[in-house]
Amino acid sequence: MENRITDIGPPYYAQFFPPVIKKNYGKWKSHEIIEPGVLKYTSETGDVVYVVRVGTPRLATTDYIREVCEIADKYCDGYVRWTTRNNIEFHVTDEETLRALKEDLKSRKHPGGSYKFPIGGTGAGVTNIVHTQGWVHCHTPAIDASGIVKAVMDDLIDYFESMTLPAQVRIALACCLNMCGAVHCSDIAILGIHRKPPLIEDDRLEYVCEIPLVLASCPTGAIKPATVEIDGKKKKTVRVQESRCMFCGNCYTMCPAMPIADGEGDGVAILVGGKISNRVSAPKFSKLVIPYIPNEPPRWETTVKWVRKILETYAKHARKYERVGEWAERIGWERFFELCEIPFSSKTMDDYRLAYDTYRTSMHFRFTSHVDIK
Amino acid sequence: MPVVEYKGKKFEVDEDGFLLGGLDAWCMEWVEYVKQLEGIEELTDEHWKVIKVLQDYYKKNGVAPMVRVLSKVTGYPLKKIYELFPSGPGKGACKMAGLPKPTGCV
Ligand code: SF4
Ligand code: SF4
Repeated sequence: MENRITDIGPPYYAQFFPPVIKKNYGKWKSHEIIEPGVLKYTSETGDVVYVVRVGTPRLATTDYIREVCEIADKYCDGYVRWTTRNNIEFHVTDEETLRALKEDLKSRKHPGGSYKFPIGGTGAGVTNIVHTQGWVHCHTPAIDASGIVKAVMDDLIDYFESMTLPAQVRIALACCLNMCGAVHCSDIAILGIHRKPPLIEDDRLEYVCEIPLVLASCPTGAIKPATVEIDGKKKKTVRVQESRCMFCGNCYTMCPAMPIADGEGDGVAILVGGKISNRVSAPKFSKLVIPYIPNEPPRWETTVKWVRKILETYAKHARKYERVGEWAERIGWERFFELCEIPFSSKTMDDYRLAYDTYRTSMHFRFTSHVDIK
Repeated sequence: MPVVEYKGKKFEVDEDGFLLGGLDAWCMEWVEYVKQLEGIEELTDEHWKVIKVLQDYYKKNGVAPMVRVLSKVTGYPLKKIYELFPSGPGKGACKMAGLPKPTGCV
């Protein structure tokens, strides 16, 4: 404990402000998006600052971060910032440096050919995907994070580098329904799900798990305490009533002796229509529209296909400024399913506690054709 | 799973060094082993009080007590518990007491 320093908190943010930001703090008058990925802010003092936003994979090496620093040193006096969707922003104050910075960013590629710093992510387009740990680091995932995100962004890169949609589309991914991140409130969400109940390792459960915690972790009350005999010794354990289990994996989070991951069973669910801003309509939760797509590493073709399908159907039909959820609610979800050609299944119907409020209790609906699986 | 040897005793532990055999495998040698891991110079009555409260609560309820319960029953504020067990009530005290490793998003 000697010489131990604690409770010092993060450094004060203002110490990393570019000079132009420090000088004009609280004095900004207006901004415009001069092209995809480039913003211009004007201050009361007459100062302007150009901001170049670039995509990142979020998961990065120190070499990559050093390269970001090198760029910041070269064009921005060493200042740089990360956004809340893990894009990077470089600030410059004159157009000449802006041009040189953009040229430089565009020229940088990984050996495999991918752009290191694609410029974009502003306005009514698709910006970075908020995502999680996946198979890189977590122990409860049903899908990978980085892999799917790369596959989806490769497919949608044109929307990252342009602003042609009715409104911005936020895509998020979480690899299990702990939903770390933003899947519950995003326009399009990719979520990892299981389809099989957990295994129970009776021989070690009582030593590594606190059984009351396991019982209390189950949202559907599917777990009961039990005793088994192993080699003539009585052991405390649990039993899962499989007809009540909906494979959330919560019990595994609390108890390492109840693993649930399964190569065949696990996969992707797609949710749509969430938002967090209160612009025009109040914030919304995203809603389940595709209950299951198999895991298809390394490129997740079916997931990529459906994300694009939903995005393009929205782009074609929604009105200007309308977010995905606002559009779906205006046309009615039955039309959403029809237009997106998503087969509707009973899995999409809520059956958890407050489900009643999600059913239709009115005679207002449109006749639509049920879509067959293609 | 790794096995640690200490003063002639063998303990099966997980990758974070928690006792896998539970309270059945717990003994004085384990306490001494964790003591040196934790960098605790001497085990005082106060240490023992925390260990005892944890073990009694676990035997009775099947779960480790919440931090507020531990504080209330021992009469030690959290700050004091950290003074006794520098890694805290979970990684320090529960480990020494032979309770299962804390789970969840820790
Ligand atoms: S969403 Fe689930 S699996 Fe993914 S990082 Fe969070 S807890 Fe882990
Ligand atoms: S997976 Fe979820 S629903 Fe199934 S037993 Fe575990 S906690 Fe309950």
